[in-house]
Amino acid sequence: MGGLDAVERGPLPSDASATSDSGSAAGESDHPSVAALRAKFGDAIQGDTVHAGDQTVVWIDPARSLEILTWLKDDPGQKYDMMSDVTGVDYGGGRPVEVVYQMFSTTHKRALRIRCKLPLDALEIDSVVGLWVGANWLEREVYDLFGVTFKGHPDLRRILMPQDYAEGHPLRKDFPLRGRFSRAEQTRRALAQDVERFYGPEELVEGGAPQQVAARSEPAEGEG
Amino acid sequence: MGLGDLLPGGGTQKSEGGLGMFGAGSPTFLTTKIDEVINWGRRNSLWPMPFGTACCAIEMMAAAASNFDLARFGMERMSFSPRQADVLICAGRVPYKLAPVLRRIWDQMPQPKWCVSMGACASSGGVFDVYSMVQGIDTIVPVDVYVPGCPPRPEGLIYGLMMIQEKIRQESLGRHFEHRAEDPALVAAPRADEEEIVGLTGPFGNSTHQEKLADGRIVRSPDPNDDVPV
Amino acid sequence: MAERTIELNVSRNPEMGVDGLPKASPLAPIDIAEPDLGTEEMLINIGPQHPATHGVLRLICELDGETVVDVTPDIGFLHSSFEKLGEYRTWNQIVTLTDRMDYLAPLIYNCAYVMSVEKLMGIEVTERCKVVRVIIMEMDRIFGHLLWLGTTAIDVGAFTPFLYAFQQREKIYKLHESLTGARITTSATRVGGMMADLPEGWIDQLNDFLDHFPNTLGEIDRLLTGNQIHIGRTQGVGVIGADEAINYGLTGANLRAAGVDYDVRKDQPYYDYETYDFEVPIGEHGDCYDRYLCRMEEMRQSVRILRQAIDRLPGGPINVQDPNISLPSKTDCMSDMESMIHHFKLITDGIPAPEGDCYMAIEGSKGELGMYVVAEEGGTKPVRWRIRPPSFVNLSAIPKLARGHLVSDLIMINASLDIVLGEIDR
Ligand code: SF4
Repeated sequence: MGGLDAVERGPLPSDASATSDSGSAAGESDHPSVAALRAKFGDAIQGDTVHAGDQTVVWIDPARSLEILTWLKDDPGQKYDMMSDVTGVDYGGGRPVEVVYQMFSTTHKRALRIRCKLPLDALEIDSVVGLWVGANWLEREVYDLFGVTFKGHPDLRRILMPQDYAEGHPLRKDFPLRGRFSRAEQTRRALAQDVERFYGPEELVEGGAPQQVAARSEPAEGEG
Repeated sequence: MGLGDLLPGGGTQKSEGGLGMFGAGSPTFLTTKIDEVINWGRRNSLWPMPFGTACCAIEMMAAAASNFDLARFGMERMSFSPRQADVLICAGRVPYKLAPVLRRIWDQMPQPKWCVSMGACASSGGVFDVYSMVQGIDTIVPVDVYVPGCPPRPEGLIYGLMMIQEKIRQESLGRHFEHRAEDPALVAAPRADEEEIVGLTGPFGNSTHQEKLADGRIVRSPDPNDDVPV
Repeated sequence: MAERTIELNVSRNPEMGVDGLPKASPLAPIDIAEPDLGTEEMLINIGPQHPATHGVLRLICELDGETVVDVTPDIGFLHSSFEKLGEYRTWNQIVTLTDRMDYLAPLIYNCAYVMSVEKLMGIEVTERCKVVRVIIMEMDRIFGHLLWLGTTAIDVGAFTPFLYAFQQREKIYKLHESLTGARITTSATRVGGMMADLPEGWIDQLNDFLDHFPNTLGEIDRLLTGNQIHIGRTQGVGVIGADEAINYGLTGANLRAAGVDYDVRKDQPYYDYETYDFEVPIGEHGDCYDRYLCRMEEMRQSVRILRQAIDRLPGGPINVQDPNISLPSKTDCMSDMESMIHHFKLITDGIPAPEGDCYMAIEGSKGELGMYVVAEEGGTKPVRWRIRPPSFVNLSAIPKLARGHLVSDLIMINASLDIVLGEIDR
């Protein structure tokens, strides 16, 4: 697609280096990190492709994610020192939920996207907060909205939804757009919440009883 | 409108000397209805409590800034403390997580008090017919004036506030307690009962329409508690 | 291209050590050995409805006297589920949601979103569209920074800069309005182009703004940059080092103030930013004052970019000339059968996307703004639309920045991060 022939070029000579390839066609990646990853971790690398023209995506084994990400951060040839984004994707229809890491290396000026497929019955992955502190809130958000548990996260509580939100994890595809409860029930629950309850001094300490909080929001799964 | 309009004779005849600012024959007294005087005072010295959350709050700031100048209507002082405020201007989206905060602010405001719902989101949820948003703050607090728009222009907000002033002008002190009584049992409770909330917040066309458009790839499990037809 | 970065060369407070920490400022906490009286820490709550939190942010502070021991931000009070809603909207319908997210610089969000979708679909927009988007993005960078400047100045007790800033903002409101018809919720872009081309006289209006804006900026600069109160409140407050800032994922002026040379416009250039002549201000102390200086300088650089972009604005169509992407003109629709069918197909079905995902980062006014879209083969709606929110990540560093400072400094630190709650909570 494109129809670019019809585009009238402006008075300025267009920059020859501007990428204009057709994007999205999946192909072999020549990203230097991919070869290095394959050489180092072998079959923990489940696949790689190029999306959107020039963006390299690598699928890795979630069981070894922490090991691989640690190497990507610390190896002098990689040095992905900035974790731009941690997020989740749910395709629905019983397919695995994916956790996506978008990384950037300020040394080599390279970006890399790592994805991990988590089967619906084992939504667990190692936390990377120990490597990048900035992942703290991002992982909490994935936990809140997708229900993925990050093992070893210091403070895994809901972040956007109320702590006692009982309807589930909103960004999952089986979650209805308007929520699971009726509007009247949602309003009643909203006004009944006690916003001060979740911030006793003991919960301010990092790592303060996250399991307890997780347990409180767990009934979500059962209802509906 | 000045005090002169309230007075018999329209305050046009000025007496000659001294204190005689007001007309109607005598320099020292005036006759009028107590309602008129009190309402005149009330409506020209409203202190708004700006409960601004999102984009609409920016337009509220613009309304208060020099170009539009809310101060012309006696709303010189934005009262950031609910206990000293008369009008709650709810500008912006109100998610369920914020609902108890809004309700508490309303409960903290002393009578007499009024509420303006500014923008589509505050009035009806707007485009956000989703799991996290209150579908109209009138399910939580009583609203006097709805200002439509996304966001309403500052002129729109000012017009809404002038309608509040008009409403105040028509109030009567004799029915003060009837109008202004508050049931302590209703503190921190929804304003509307269940049936009314369901009626007020029914699917708005937009979201259900989208649901039909979804080409089957978005799988939804039917849910008895869900009021959206699958 | 001139040299890539400029150092901010403003005389620092002589009382300030090289590391940015105050040696002995009258406003800094004085370290005197006190007898241990067995005090207890106190918990205070700021927000969610508080004028100094710049929105509905809640900060729970643990205080020892007036010193902040720890801060726990509580967010989500404006969670409007944009990302969920996006899954029910076609590609073009989502544009209307983007400007409701960051209402301080809406056009940047409009552009970032469509850029990501275009990259996913492999659409290349016209030259004119590129330059127009650069213009509106730089204009809104100024727009966003001005609001930050005004409200932050209020937080340190200066009211005049607020009025000056809003006076200039009102001019950009007018520009928004004549371009899109709305003051804030612009929704100006479409996949493959713009909602409409620039109206007549718009460039003159913009030139007029550019003629007057640097003067006002200079006035604000004179009011604040050398102001002893402002310096006392900001220098050495909320310091973060370069490595730590990267580790926390800080971006934008917050990262550059810490001395890291990272600007998406330079490092992952889009829309030919590499051919514009501008510099990236880099701080060295990583405190509130350097963040302030960086943003001031960024506004000046934006004016430079705007002038260059206006000069090179080419003619030609603004939309991609492909009937499967851009809507035909209204006249064609009414008179030409084929155009009408295309119009109908585009409106009812939307634009089909190829399978894949795309993360497109641009330099927003708050930092690196990423738009991540995931599509399935032929999907006219995203499977997932994700915003990498710069101020969300920046705000997560606030406990680190505020520890050990006074409560009043916490307000300043929060302001200096330049947050917008609409985008943090989404
Ligand atoms: S009504 Fe529109 S402008 Fe106002 S808060 Fe809602 S989305 Fe924003």
